[in-house]
Amino acid sequence: MTRFDTTVNGTAHVAEVDGHESAVEVIRDQFGLTGTKLVCGGGVCGACTILIGGEPTASCLLPATSLRGTEVTTVEGLGGSGDSGAPSAARLHPMQRAFLAEDALQCGYCTPGFVMGAAAFHDRWRQEHGTAEPDRHTIAEALAGHLCRCGAYEGIYRAVAAACRGDHDHDGDEPDRVAARVDGPDKVTGRAIYTTDVTLPDMLHGALRRSAIAAALVGRIDRSTAAVAVDLLGDDRRVRWAGQPIAAVAAETPSEARRVAAELDIEITPLPFVIDPEEAKKAGAPLVHEDRRARRNAPSAAEGPVLPATWDGNRRNSGTVPFRGMAAKRRVRRARETGTGTLVELELSTAPQLHSCFEPHACVADWSDPARLRLWVSTQAVDHTAHSVAEHFGIDEADVEVVADNVGGGFGSKVSLGTEIIAATELSRLSRRPVKLVLDRHEELTGTGNRPGSRMAISMLADDDGRELQALLVDVESHAGVGIGNVVGALAMLVYERSPRLAHDYDILTNGPPGSPFRGPGGPITAWALEQAIDEMAHRLGQDPIALRQRWDGNERRGALYRWAAELPVWRARPVAGAQTGRFRRGVGVAAANWFYFVDPDSEVVVSVEDGRLVASTASQDMGTGSRTVVARAVAEVFDVQPTEVEVRLGRSNATTIHGPTSAGSRTTVSLWSATTDAATELRREIGGSVSAAANGTSATARRGGDRGIRAVPITVAGIQIGRGFSGAVHVSEVEVDTRTGRTRVLRVHGGIAVGRIHAPELARSQCEGSIIQGIGLALYENQVLDPHTGLTLTANLEDYRIPQLGDTPEIEIHFEEAGWDHVPGGGVGLGEVATISPAASIGNAIHNATGWRATALPVRPDRMIEALSERPSVPSAPSRGAGR
Amino acid sequence: MSGITFLTSADLPPGVEGVVRAGGTDLQERLRTANATPHILDLTGIDGYTSVDRDDDGTRIGAGTTIATVARELSDDYPALAATAGALATPQIRAVATIGGNLAQRTRCWYFRHPHTACLKSGGDSCPARGGRHLYGVVFDTSACVHPHPSSIAMALLIHDAEVALAGGQSRSVAEVLGDGVDPTRDNQLGDGELLTAVLLPAPWPDERAAYHRSISRFEAEWPLVEAVCRVRLDDGGRVADCGIGLGGVATVPLRMRAAEDLLRGSTLDDDTIASASAACTQRAEPLPETGYKVPLIEATVREVLERVAADQA
Repeated sequence: MTRFDTTVNGTAHVAEVDGHESAVEVIRDQFGLTGTKLVCGGGVCGACTILIGGEPTASCLLPATSLRGTEVTTVEGLGGSGDSGAPSAARLHPMQRAFLAEDALQCGYCTPGFVMGAAAFHDRWRQEHGTAEPDRHTIAEALAGHLCRCGAYEGIYRAVAAACRGDHDHDGDEPDRVAARVDGPDKVTGRAIYTTDVTLPDMLHGALRRSAIAAALVGRIDRSTAAVAVDLLGDDRRVRWAGQPIAAVAAETPSEARRVAAELDIEITPLPFVIDPEEAKKAGAPLVHEDRRARRNAPSAAEGPVLPATWDGNRRNSGTVPFRGMAAKRRVRRARETGTGTLVELELSTAPQLHSCFEPHACVADWSDPARLRLWVSTQAVDHTAHSVAEHFGIDEADVEVVADNVGGGFGSKVSLGTEIIAATELSRLSRRPVKLVLDRHEELTGTGNRPGSRMAISMLADDDGRELQALLVDVESHAGVGIGNVVGALAMLVYERSPRLAHDYDILTNGPPGSPFRGPGGPITAWALEQAIDEMAHRLGQDPIALRQRWDGNERRGALYRWAAELPVWRARPVAGAQTGRFRRGVGVAAANWFYFVDPDSEVVVSVEDGRLVASTASQDMGTGSRTVVARAVAEVFDVQPTEVEVRLGRSNATTIHGPTSAGSRTTVSLWSATTDAATELRREIGGSVSAAANGTSATARRGGDRGIRAVPITVAGIQIGRGFSGAVHVSEVEVDTRTGRTRVLRVHGGIAVGRIHAPELARSQCEGSIIQGIGLALYENQVLDPHTGLTLTANLEDYRIPQLGDTPEIEIHFEEAGWDHVPGGGVGLGEVATISPAASIGNAIHNATGWRATALPVRPDRMIEALSERPSVPSAPSRGAGR
Repeated sequence: MSGITFLTSADLPPGVEGVVRAGGTDLQERLRTANATPHILDLTGIDGYTSVDRDDDGTRIGAGTTIATVARELSDDYPALAATAGALATPQIRAVATIGGNLAQRTRCWYFRHPHTACLKSGGDSCPARGGRHLYGVVFDTSACVHPHPSSIAMALLIHDAEVALAGGQSRSVAEVLGDGVDPTRDNQLGDGELLTAVLLPAPWPDERAAYHRSISRFEAEWPLVEAVCRVRLDDGGRVADCGIGLGGVATVPLRMRAAEDLLRGSTLDDDTIASASAACTQRAEPLPETGYKVPLIEATVREVLERVAADQA
């Protein structure tokens, strides 16, 4: 052991290390400064950034011993220290105030690191340039070592520029006054506690032993080498994918737990497996799910319940959606044979996209008191988790408490009862001590789910004038590894109405990691096929792609968006497809999105007065989407006070809390807004509008309930009811393709969103901007890669799994159409998913407009661009008539 | 014995063995992934380890000098090296990573760094990337290992005819330290216990023109698909008197493009010369099934740096 002195935020500390630790572990675990986050562990994302002598440093790669004798500043000490030497909560660096005012954050997990890097840049810039504003390129270069998965990059640009201009020098020390988000002040100071930050007295640390091979029969697990160990396999004793958890252990330290897990003696019999979907389809391929029971237990990547289906080996018929399907097939066949009409046929593929939440899946379980199970979980669903944990362990739900004060991103991957929850709970039950289990980045990027890859064939037939869509055929094979739940083709049937059409959806099972719901499950994949097909159709017909959609799309809300998009200067000035010959080619593309209106009508909110303050609470959570702020604003509107005067209690489900919605399926805001408004209105009536200590103890509760008029599907399944009407989005993107190096840059995106009334405009805009950033990732960079021979995930770090950077952010404009949802209480529906569906497809169409090449395989990496452009002449064979003006 | 020894001189105490660590930006990531605890030899306290000293013969850069320092302090006299240093990794990494560590880092192959697979560089008996996935692999297939060498700095040092000083006083050329890359088990030819103490650069070229380009998919902070660096000295008539072209991301060692350099010498930097020199860089390329795209990308990347040098825009 080596001991050394260091000074952190002005306070002397002594650290004790064995020499291998990185600085981040010492800062978090020994000094208790949990504002510094560990995310990638590879110096890529910057969430662990600290200042050493004022220089930003990635503490995950900094040997702890390098802190010896240094002056360290962490986010807790950024604003300077108070007289006591302890970090002062009130004193903020101008950059922290700028992050609050410009809403430069969502989940907040990357925020402390970003703030540190940006503050150091600010201090240097101001010394050298005064209050001149740095341009976006300069900011992006300075902050190239930071990533934000939520994609709050537009806000970050604005914040850095504003702070450098000096706009936030004199905001005073009242962070609440400038904050767009009510939890912003906690997030920019590192005070916000996430599950990974929770430490309990006498706590053990858990670790998972995962399979290194893709299929196996597991025999005896020798638990004698571990103090506490849990077998995680089912009765069938089968491992079906490389990385699947087999067992969990607990020990006194995380590294000891990992060592014990690695050294568990496990009897493993390898079984045949299949990784390539084409091989998996062949007769005689090893069966991924060998019998009915295994098939019934297959994990799903769909949102909502999975219907029974027929299986043929590893091919599962996930669903057929016909509307005069035979006619559609007949028409397409005739068009192929006779050449009549205009027939567009594309074969496309997409790659698995990883959620890559910056807060890893994590759970702290405390079952030391057998009568009471307390869980801290990084989850999108505190209420649902409490319910499923009670069910899984056969205990009364009233004895379970689930806490998620802050959640560092979810994107759909933190909805179900994950292995980390089951393992930590079971380890705590056995050890009678609290147990903390946090996945590392390698585990996070291997086995916590993905948006499945796919192969698709689409046939779209129109008459030669494009007056009428005559037939639409969509065949989709989804590759969710051991998972199921393909709905991509079905979703394509809902947009362009009235024609004969037919969708076949299949799941091709392989021994790959399971897919899981990912923000708008299926939607962006549907758009990649459908929206490129209609774009190609417009190109062949020589018609304006927006005008063609206006003709075929009966959705009035999207109609308003088409009118808006058609008038955008970038659209009106778009080039003729494929006509450019220079090195850099610019192109503009459009794509539309269609999504459901989901709601949880059983959601309840209670608004009360406590200690003379307004308090609103429900068993929901805020994973960065802004639910806490939305609830605060709803109460504030009724009482005509500032949102910061309302205390919002989310992130807790126990015997005393009331039901709140899961943060998935775009349902949180639409389930909470009117219930909050109703409860607040009722309370106001009771107390006569004055909030004071005299009203302490009064409260009112309201339930969301149904909509006015008829509902589309008047039943609620798994907390979801499908409401009446489809939401819409239209994205117009401009790209620049470097035909030499194959790199595509997205220069500008206009996002039009039709979800009715927007309750928190800055936050809604940030969500829509983040959707575009994630769409850019899907379109250009992101691809989970498996080794074809072993099924091991090769892209299990943030260097090889490439998510968009600050410098990849286009200029973004978000436009809201707020009409059309009068039947919904509050006048608006959710936007988290509809906003994420069309960005990638609009980029695909823009690439075609720029180069004349139709990119069918995602992501459109430089290698694909180079290979495509070297195979085709620079002059297009069929220039579009009428495009451009 | 797991633990740490803080060295104060480059001469190893007898009987002490372990893994050397300078800035730690490579080692800490590998320790985390592998959950390993080897004995560590910490170099950061070695005397003269972080100094940059110039004299008439050239410049001595202590092996512990950070990449950020190289980028900042050598931009006037060694612009090609400085531009390379300033473009790698991220500002946070550059502030900590050292020039010696950059030369001696291990391969970034996703098989090598995976905890559940073995390759030729991690004790295995074959290269899983060759028959597996190697999108970021080599184009010049000269070794059983197919992942490119990770050091951009090594590529730049090659075209400076730089040397490294080793503990004990001897020195070797960077080219020699890198070797030919054929041995698939090694990232360099340094022997056990051979510590880098400094990088030695010959005297700078007056009026050097230089350019560096990294072809990647995103904005920055990504391992290069292909990278190139170029330094040129023109004579009074505007002809190339001397030049160096380095290429990275394409072979198990960084390459010096001698054939292209020969085409440039004595010529003006006109479009035809640039085109033929760029094309010459793909001679003997033998791409793998997934790296065919890198052949045109080599040409594009070299052309990019030559055009920038011709226009004198570093």
